[in-house]
Amino acid sequence: MALLKLAVRNLRRNRRRSTITLAAMIIGTVAMTCLRGFINGQQRVIIDNQVEGRMGAVQVHKRGYIANVLTSPLALDMADTPELRQKLAKIPGVVAVAPRIEFGAMLSTPDKKPQPDDGSLLPPADQGKTSFIMATAIDPQAEALVTPLRNSFIRGGKLFASVDAHDIVLNDDFARGLEVAVHPEGTPLPKVEQQLALLAPDRDGALNGENVVMGAALPSFSPGDRRIGLVPLGTAQRILRMEGRVTEYSLAVSPFDAAPRVRDAAQAALGPDFEVHTWSELMPFIGTLTNTQDFIFSVISGVFLAVVLLGIVNAMLMTVLERVREIGTMLAVGMRRVQIIQLFVMEGLVIGIVGGLLGIALGYLIVTLAGHIGIPLPAPGAAVPSVVKPFITPLYLVSALVGVPVGASLACLWPAWRASRLRPVEALQTA
Amino acid sequence: MNLIELKGIQKSYELGKTTVTALRGVDLSIAKGEFTVITGPSGSGKTTLLNIIGCLDRASAGRYQLDGQDVSNRDFDDLAGVRNQKIGFIFQNFNLIPVLDVAENIEFPCAVRKDAEKPEVLRQKVERLAEAVGLKPYLHHKPDELSGGQRQRVAIARALITGPALVLADEPTANLDSATSEQIIDLMLALNREQGVTFLFSTHDARVVKHAKRALEIRDGVMVP
Repeated sequence: MALLKLAVRNLRRNRRRSTITLAAMIIGTVAMTCLRGFINGQQRVIIDNQVEGRMGAVQVHKRGYIANVLTSPLALDMADTPELRQKLAKIPGVVAVAPRIEFGAMLSTPDKKPQPDDGSLLPPADQGKTSFIMATAIDPQAEALVTPLRNSFIRGGKLFASVDAHDIVLNDDFARGLEVAVHPEGTPLPKVEQQLALLAPDRDGALNGENVVMGAALPSFSPGDRRIGLVPLGTAQRILRMEGRVTEYSLAVSPFDAAPRVRDAAQAALGPDFEVHTWSELMPFIGTLTNTQDFIFSVISGVFLAVVLLGIVNAMLMTVLERVREIGTMLAVGMRRVQIIQLFVMEGLVIGIVGGLLGIALGYLIVTLAGHIGIPLPAPGAAVPSVVKPFITPLYLVSALVGVPVGASLACLWPAWRASRLRPVEALQTA
Repeated sequence: MNLIELKGIQKSYELGKTTVTALRGVDLSIAKGEFTVITGPSGSGKTTLLNIIGCLDRASAGRYQLDGQDVSNRDFDDLAGVRNQKIGFIFQNFNLIPVLDVAENIEFPCAVRKDAEKPEVLRQKVERLAEAVGLKPYLHHKPDELSGGQRQRVAIARALITGPALVLADEPTANLDSATSEQIIDLMLALNREQGVTFLFSTHDARVVKHAKRALEIRDGVMVP
C-alpha cells in the first residue's frame, strides 16, 4: 500500500508527462475499442445477411446430401411430413422450421418479337435467352420465420404469397442480364408465350417446366451468388415430380449461439439417416472472412498497443534517469531491488488502470452511440442495404480491462529492472 | 565487543584500463556509543571507507564485522537488509524523497520493511522523533517547503527511525550555514549522549571535528596512526 501511494505521487510529480502518457493510452484504447466494435458490427451484418437472409441457422438433410450437392441432390430427398417438422420444432432452441428444395433449373425468356412468317430466324438480339439458375424452393410463410431478413431485401415487388404461386424471385443482376423485368403486381398476367419458362430435370432426368413471371428481385448477399432464384415450394415440387418431398429443412434458433447445441440435439433426434449442420459449417467462407478480420484487428491492435507501450517505456526510462539519486537513497535506506521493480511496475499499472478504464469507457460510449445510430454500409461483396451496428462483447471489455493495465505494467518492467540494478553507491553520487 | 571491526580492508576500482586503489588495508575499530569523525583531504578514501562501513559498497579484500556479524561477502539484498536494520544514513544533500512529506520521509525505512509495523504505531514513533529533532510542526510539509537545516533534521530523524546501531553521516554540514551547522551538530551530540547512538562522520568541517570524541584521519587510503 505504501508503494502504491508512492507510485501515485510519483505520477503526479511530472503532471505534463503523465498526462501525455495517459492521453496516449486513452486514445489507443478508444481506437482499439471502436475498431473492435465496428468489426463486430460488420461481422454481425455479414452473418445476419447469410443466416437470417438466406440460409437459416441450422440445416437438416439426408445423409450424404452435402457431399453430393453438386451432383445428385434431388436423389437425397425426404418426405415432408408433419411428424418430422414437429420433431424438429420440439428441439429446445428451435423457433421455426422451413422446408426447401435446392435444385438446378433453366430459365428461358420469350422472344421479343413473333417468329417471322417466312421461316427465317429472328435476329439474335430479338431471340429469347436461356440461362441456368440455382433455384431454392421455399414455403413463404415458414421461410419468413427462418430467414426474416430476406423479405426486407426484396425489391420491385413482393415475395410470392403461396407455395403454388406462379411468380418467382430472381437476383436483380441476373434478371437485368436476361432482360427480365418484374411483373407489376395487380396487373393481368401476360400471355403464356410472353411468360418465362422454368425448366428442371426431375430425379429421373425428365425435363419438366412451368410458365412463371418474375414477381420480385433480390439483391446479392455475397460475391458470386448472381444466378439464384426463389421458387414457390409447390411449384417446384410439381416441376420436379416431388410432391410431398423436400431436400432440406432450415431451422431458426434462439439464442443465435445455440446453433451447435441444436445441431447436436437434432442429429440425436433424427438418427444416422440424416445430417445436420450449423450455418458456420455450411458457409466456412464466413469463418475465414471473420478470422481474417480478427487477424487484421489483432495486427492493428498490436501496433497500437506497441506504440502506446513504447511511449510508456520511454516515459519510464526518463523517469528512472531523473530519479537516480532518489532510487539510490531508497536502496541505501534498505529498500530491496524487487521493491524498486514493484514501484515502477505499479506506476505503469496505475497509468494502465486509469488510461484503460477511461479509454474503454469512452470507447464503449462511442461504440454504443454508433450502434444506436447505425452506420449504413453494405457487407463486403453484398448489394443488400445493411446498417452496421457496432457493439462490444463483455469478453472484449473484460480482456481489455485486464490487458491494458497488464500491458502497461509489463512495459515498465525494463525501466524498472534498470532502476533496480543501480548501485546505491553510484546512484547517490549522481547530481 | 566493538560495533565496527575492519581488518585489512582494501578497495580497488577499474577505471578504464587502469586500476585505482582507494583503500590500502584499513584496520579500524569503533565501539558502541562513539561519536567519531574521519577526516582527510579529497581523494584520501574517506567516502569509500564510509560506503564500505555503510554496506553501500563491498571491499575488494579484508574482513568487516558489523555488530558482531561478518558482512564482508553478503549479497546485494542481504546488505540492503543490514542497512535497513542496523545503519542510518545522513547525506550531505539530505536526499529526501520529494513526493513524501516529512512524516512519510521519516517513516520510509520502516515502511518498506516486509514486517512493517502498523501505521498508527509507526506514526507514534515518527511523532516522538520529530519532536526530538524539532520538526513536530512540520510533519505534513513537503521537503521543498523546508529550510536546509530542517531538511537535515528530517534526514537525521529518518536515520534514527529504525533504531540503528550506527548512524553514518557524509559531510552532514557541508550544505548548511554556520548557525544551522552548530544546531545540527548539537542535535547529533545530544542524541549520542542521551540515546547512545553511535555516530561516524566524514567531514572537512573543523566545527564537527572540534565536537568529536574521537577523530581519525585517512590519507592515501590508509589510516594515519
